[in-house]
Amino acid sequence: MSIRSAQSIRSAQSIRSAQSIRTAPEQHEDVAAPVNAPHEPYAPETTTPRRRRRGGLGIDRRPGWFVYAILGVVLFGSAYPFWWSFVIGSRDNQALGSAWPPLIPGGNFWSNAAQVFDAIPFWQALANSLIVSSVITISVVTFATLAGYAFAKLRFRGRNGLMVAVIATMAIPTQLGIIPLFILMRQWGWTGELGAVIVPTLVTAFGVFFMRQYLVDVIPDELIEAARVDGANMITTFLNVGLPAARPAMAILGLFTFMTAWTDYLWPMLVLPNNPTLQVALGQLQSGYYVDFSIVLTGAILSTLPLLVLFLIAGKQLISGIMQGAVKG
Amino acid sequence: MKISRGTTAAVVAGAAAFALIATGCSSEAGADGEDIELTITTFGTFGYDDLYAQYEEENPGITINATNIDTGGNARTDAFTKLAAGSGLSDIVAVEEGWLGAIQEVSDQFVDLRDFGADDIKDRWVDWKLAQATDADGRIIGYGTDIGPTGLCYNGQLFEAAGMPSDREAVAELFGGDDATWERYFELGKQYYDATGKAWFDHSGFVWNSIVNQLDEGYYTADGELNVEGNAELKEAFLELSEAAQYGLSADQAAWDWGGGKAFVDGTFATFVCPGWMLGVVQGQVEAGGGDASTGWDFADVFPGGAGNWGGAFLTVPTTSDHQEEAAKLAAWLTAPEQQVAQFEAAGTFPSTLEAQEELAANPEPNEFFNDAPVGSILASRAEGVVAQFKGPDDSLIQENVFGPALRSIDEGTKNGEEAWDEAISLLNELVEQ
Amino acid sequence: MSSLTQRQRMSRLDVKISPYLYIAPFFILFALVGLFPLLYTFVVSLFDWHLLKGQGDFVGLANFTAILEDRFFWNSIFNTFSIFLLSAIPQLIAALVIAAVLDANIRAKTFWRMAVLLPYVVTPVAVSIIFSNLFGDDYGLINNLLQNFGLDPVAWHRDTFASHFAIATMVNWRWTGYNALILLAAMQAVPRELHESAAIDGAGAVRRFMSITIPSIRPTMIFVIITATIGGLQIFAEPRLFDPATAGGVGGSHRQFQTTVLYLWEMAFFRQNFGEAAAIAWLLFLIIVVIGFINFMLTRRIATGESAGPRRMFLRRRRRPREKQADKTLTTPGTIAEDVKL
Repeated sequence: MSIRSAQSIRSAQSIRSAQSIRTAPEQHEDVAAPVNAPHEPYAPETTTPRRRRRGGLGIDRRPGWFVYAILGVVLFGSAYPFWWSFVIGSRDNQALGSAWPPLIPGGNFWSNAAQVFDAIPFWQALANSLIVSSVITISVVTFATLAGYAFAKLRFRGRNGLMVAVIATMAIPTQLGIIPLFILMRQWGWTGELGAVIVPTLVTAFGVFFMRQYLVDVIPDELIEAARVDGANMITTFLNVGLPAARPAMAILGLFTFMTAWTDYLWPMLVLPNNPTLQVALGQLQSGYYVDFSIVLTGAILSTLPLLVLFLIAGKQLISGIMQGAVKG
Repeated sequence: MKISRGTTAAVVAGAAAFALIATGCSSEAGADGEDIELTITTFGTFGYDDLYAQYEEENPGITINATNIDTGGNARTDAFTKLAAGSGLSDIVAVEEGWLGAIQEVSDQFVDLRDFGADDIKDRWVDWKLAQATDADGRIIGYGTDIGPTGLCYNGQLFEAAGMPSDREAVAELFGGDDATWERYFELGKQYYDATGKAWFDHSGFVWNSIVNQLDEGYYTADGELNVEGNAELKEAFLELSEAAQYGLSADQAAWDWGGGKAFVDGTFATFVCPGWMLGVVQGQVEAGGGDASTGWDFADVFPGGAGNWGGAFLTVPTTSDHQEEAAKLAAWLTAPEQQVAQFEAAGTFPSTLEAQEELAANPEPNEFFNDAPVGSILASRAEGVVAQFKGPDDSLIQENVFGPALRSIDEGTKNGEEAWDEAISLLNELVEQ
Repeated sequence: MSSLTQRQRMSRLDVKISPYLYIAPFFILFALVGLFPLLYTFVVSLFDWHLLKGQGDFVGLANFTAILEDRFFWNSIFNTFSIFLLSAIPQLIAALVIAAVLDANIRAKTFWRMAVLLPYVVTPVAVSIIFSNLFGDDYGLINNLLQNFGLDPVAWHRDTFASHFAIATMVNWRWTGYNALILLAAMQAVPRELHESAAIDGAGAVRRFMSITIPSIRPTMIFVIITATIGGLQIFAEPRLFDPATAGGVGGSHRQFQTTVLYLWEMAFFRQNFGEAAAIAWLLFLIIVVIGFINFMLTRRIATGESAGPRRMFLRRRRRPREKQADKTLTTPGTIAEDVKL
């Protein structure tokens, strides 16, 4: 952890901080990880390409078939229901009835999709969902990272008590809270506005707790102290030390937050009935003579496509963030 | 790392900007001061979309902003949350018969439609539908949309295989025509069971609902008193049903699942309780179970115990609406005979107005799925003679959570009739405040 | 001279105030949108309160005593814990294994990593259909297979334990990948040097995983365990999706899989007893806090028991004498075990 952060900080603009790290005295017997990688007898320069550097130890060997077998099983279990939704969505209702679940898509996807676009204000709803989920995600990631960093790495009176309070808020069952929360939103005149969906989840206890737990061991205190000794103020220290170290966790948190906001149904249904998000708008698809599941599932698949795009972005971010931090100088 | 961050930010910002533009454009449409926007919340299968457009065209200055919630259950949560919160309901709220009893408890939160001309049009509806929408003080709080007159779905092929007639008219005759009784229904079921070893109906819960719905007084007396414990008529019917189920007539299927519809296809049971709106459910289930019209389902103009109604909905106008008059006008229009016929065509919901029923009866279109049964005229015939029954505040709770488990015990064979009745009574005492 | 003091003063102020500024958004938002519902629910729990008709008489703690004497409440607690135990433990183990596999130097990393998240985005309608196809009592795929092998079919809905198992499967299916990714993020932050020095010492992959990876991701493990506990005890969506037949929210024909939140839902929206429903919410909250505490104590014991030893063992030989500085004004190292006294 120290290594990746040390590099992160060097990769950040502040050369001063980087220098001070090298000269920073080591302290805290109980911080297990050594800070000054360059002094390690066997550690080559951190700029050395990764593969070569670890070659001899065998800890980065490509795993064998067994690992891929596990992955294959996991992949089948997690991806099949999604694939199934698409397969049914590309056929018709009767595809549900086959003795064995169908594996191959049919030819109805586009005609089903046309029906979806016909039945619901798809683009408007998509726009609403994008705004809602993006704003929530940006806000949650920003504020949770700040708060998580403070709880993990800064000293202040009442820290532990406040952290416990944050965690305790998660233990409150929310199912009844919708009624008073709705009253609140009415009072503020927000029902019908996207704000009514956005505001209640601008910061989540989940996010704060997550960032706190992630950052607590990942950032060595020496780095923060070094930056401070160097004269950086608190926010600069956060930006130069905290933020780079937090990046992979931010990607994960952002991804989860976006997915949760995107798939939420009950609350948007209550406060945004006439200006729906995508999930709420999809309810319209069940209003025919009978429920045509192929159309319903086509709608579900269409509504999920933006998430898949997000998966790609976040996945890259997650991986590149970790790799950069952990390896390159 | 920097690049990825930049890309992410750009994508998110771009998406948000695009979204802002999109909403910005659309929200300007209704900005004109003279325009009135009416909001309406429906659920499940309502089939109103084309009607909204027609109304907007015919009434310049009115914009309809409609929400259709996926299921009745979610619509109920939505309505109850907003009633509990004291505001937030749409200008028009669709209410299902199942939770109308609870709504009637707070009927003062809904507009008395007589203030907006309900008296002039109240003859449109079958009398019992109007009676259901009238509260204890005589206020009319809802306009009826559809009703659920109940006929008998049966599988002709299975009947034939068991040596019974399969023709619609002959089946109606077999069950006793206008004098069909539950006794006769169970008797035929036993014959069928003896001949085939297969069940007669899918599960006891639906049969029980139908039986109770036919009584002059169900779980409540006409005065609104809870009337289950010590209700000899109810208990007798319950024991009759449980005796039949124990004989083997119930297939003990899970409602709304039916093994993914397969139980409808493989001959697990031969008859099914069919209110008008259920026909769509049956078709969906049969298809989902891998069957089609050739599976043999048919729809007969007969029902044990006489006429019965199950389900249906109402359009109400909450007092919180800012446009009560316009909302009442739209509700009246949507439930007028002409529109009800259009709704039937769009969503298969059977009209609650006499004129619309007559029209459907006069021009019956054969339903291909149900062996070309003239569904419209059969349902119109089934709607005759339904009695209005007082639905108390906990009617659906008693149906689902009190009798549901008790009947399940019978179907599963874990309890006999008396024991199951006792289970129901003890559940009643625990769950329903009296 | 004076400007320097000014600067120092500013700096001290910066150090003092900044932490509070950073955590302020959460607490401000909670004060705005979290506190009112909390107090409102508490007030409701002290009254005879009909969901639709509104506030009735003040009854003190009568709603709480009524719930504590309610056999359905205890039934729901039993079901909740049963499903929780059946899901949480296998889920955490599976998530750890999957995370470890994803942490290996596999090909097409992004693909595999994102694939484990797919269950989370499948629409509830599809989840419901798929799992009823799988766990159907009469026509389900699993029972078909069992019967093909001459085994007895399982009453997935009717039988208490079997239904808990089926619901736990749904939960695990949906949340394992989610937790695996969280653990993966933490695993990737473990310094390679630890692995390297262990490898030099001759430790194999499994040994390294047990004695380096797991202790190193301890804070995130605690996070996953605590959030899984809280989420598990509030389980609602899966038992609801599992049986479309129980419209009244009873969770099975005889409440055999009605969880506490499902019971709360029935109480509020079907029985319309808002007062008792609020009491259930508060009781559940207390139970979760207690379990969370026990959980935390256990985790701390296990985690600290493991971590102090092996990780140091590998590092000892590399450690140079260090000067101890008493400068703790800025930060202190901390893990939740040391800091948060729940």
